[in-house]
Amino acid sequence: MTTLAQPSPPVQSRASRQRELWKRVRKTWPGYLFISPAGLLITVFSYIAIIFSLYISFYQYDIISEARPFEGLENYTRALNDKLVRTSFRNTFVYVIVIVPSITIFSLLLAVLGNQVRRGRALFRTVFFIPTITPVVVTSMLWVWLYEPTGGINRLLQMVNVEGPNWLFNPSTALPAIMIMTIWGAVGYYMIIFLAGLAEIPEVFYEAAKVDGAGRWHTFWRITIPLLRNSLIFAFVTLTIAAFQVFTQVFIMTQGGPMNSTQTVQMVVYHYAFQRFQMGYASAISWMLFGVIFFFSALQLKLFISRELY
Amino acid sequence: MARTLASPGSGQRDQNRLLLIATRRSFTLIVYALLIALAFSMIFPYLWMLANSFKSRTDFFTNPYSVIPMPPTLSTYYDALTIGRMGVYLGNSILYAAVVLIVQLFIDSLAAYSFARVDFPGRETLFLAVLATLMLPGSVTLIPTFLIAHGLGLTNTFTGVVLPGFAGAFGIFLLRQFFLNIPRELEDAARIDGSGFFGTYWRIMLPLAKPAMVTLGVFIFLNEWSSFVWPLIILSDWKKYPVTVGIALFRDVNQINWPAVFAGSTIVSFPIVILFVLAQEYIIGGISLSGLKG
Repeated sequence: MTTLAQPSPPVQSRASRQRELWKRVRKTWPGYLFISPAGLLITVFSYIAIIFSLYISFYQYDIISEARPFEGLENYTRALNDKLVRTSFRNTFVYVIVIVPSITIFSLLLAVLGNQVRRGRALFRTVFFIPTITPVVVTSMLWVWLYEPTGGINRLLQMVNVEGPNWLFNPSTALPAIMIMTIWGAVGYYMIIFLAGLAEIPEVFYEAAKVDGAGRWHTFWRITIPLLRNSLIFAFVTLTIAAFQVFTQVFIMTQGGPMNSTQTVQMVVYHYAFQRFQMGYASAISWMLFGVIFFFSALQLKLFISRELY
Repeated sequence: MARTLASPGSGQRDQNRLLLIATRRSFTLIVYALLIALAFSMIFPYLWMLANSFKSRTDFFTNPYSVIPMPPTLSTYYDALTIGRMGVYLGNSILYAAVVLIVQLFIDSLAAYSFARVDFPGRETLFLAVLATLMLPGSVTLIPTFLIAHGLGLTNTFTGVVLPGFAGAFGIFLLRQFFLNIPRELEDAARIDGSGFFGTYWRIMLPLAKPAMVTLGVFIFLNEWSSFVWPLIILSDWKKYPVTVGIALFRDVNQINWPAVFAGSTIVSFPIVILFVLAQEYIIGGISLSGLKG
């Protein structure tokens, strides 16, 4: 109690600095103890894992045989020429390009619409949110049934005299079918994000716009969108990262078929790693995906952040 | 001033006002109609699932899209629990979710408290190292995590399923944020009373952090309950499957018995719906927070 910290002299010798450090460590060592369980787990399952993954991507590695020859870049060049891998990257790109803007736009629209009404707002929010909290496995199975040739979707289409396809068994409709289901399942989540963003916009801005005689459309583009910037960045970046790794829906609904039209990169990684036990090769593919994700996240952040705040 | 403005064409103005009110009304009406239609599309698949889960197989094949089962039956649930082994899966899922929930809450909050309040050398760097892992896509750590678990002899074990979920960077971040906002005076009082770091954490900080702990707890539970890929990979024995892997397997071997699959799906969704109804504010609050911080 009596030895309150004195202001340290401007110039310190290295020895005294070290002594100071030791004193701090002696006083705060439980801090290290408290972070150690989390630290150990994160070190093992994130840091060691990622280094390990990079390491085995240069080897022919399976868990059964003992021989693990070094391959250099062999796995990567093999992946570049693997038709299945190329198809999966193409499909995944299409999926990301459709999904990310669609979910962003629809959920933003839902949030803005939901914000317009007073009565029943909470109820709408709850209803739109239900698909988000249901396990993807369950919603996927539900939609498999809805997509049957005489299922719910085609019956709805019949009402407007459209003959629906056999969604999940037709190579040209299977991927769109999965995308529609994913959009349906995700808009509720991002609607919440945007509602929170909208609530942060001060009412004064809207009042000022009204005084200036700005219309709804103008107000939306000039006030709502710029001030939702943070929420929009968050939605765009997290959606992109998640969409590149799509797996469960595909696994349940189509298993990558028909004719590989729904093979995604993560499906192919799973296939090589856990069905053919080529862990090294599968790791190389997952690192290529990581590279793509990293590139696009960095690009998005750069694009968004370079546009200065209003 | 007001009179001169009002006098020339006040009839015209009234008409304009009426028109404005009318367009505003019709706008609101259109918004409601749109929202109701969309809400219907969100909820209807679930109503079908629920309705079909009470249908006999003949009823299902003749009227798969009626929402009222004629007559309702519980045999589908019986099938799901016996043939579908949903009872076993449900027990496993509850165990996994409960263990991960308790352990992760403890480990995350302890680390978060330390990062927020214990001024140990290297704190900022270590915290950044924790945050950086949030950027790692799960797809790239999946294979090595499996190989590490395999090396530790944890394949096809309960421990193997839960261990990687025992710490979460997001949880540490969320709780640290909360601890930082708790006034320091409360702890200082405890320190004077001779409480150590752990005592302060356990007796002062943890009770104060209850709202944040509940929010995080709900997220951990939902995450663990929905988790599919990891248990699918690490487990090979159906007796240890959680509900997600179990129901997928049940549908695979039982394509024709849709009503029982729907009964199983209802069983899987039920705890989630209950949790959502109970903790809706926490869930929505937590999601809103993560978006605003972004």
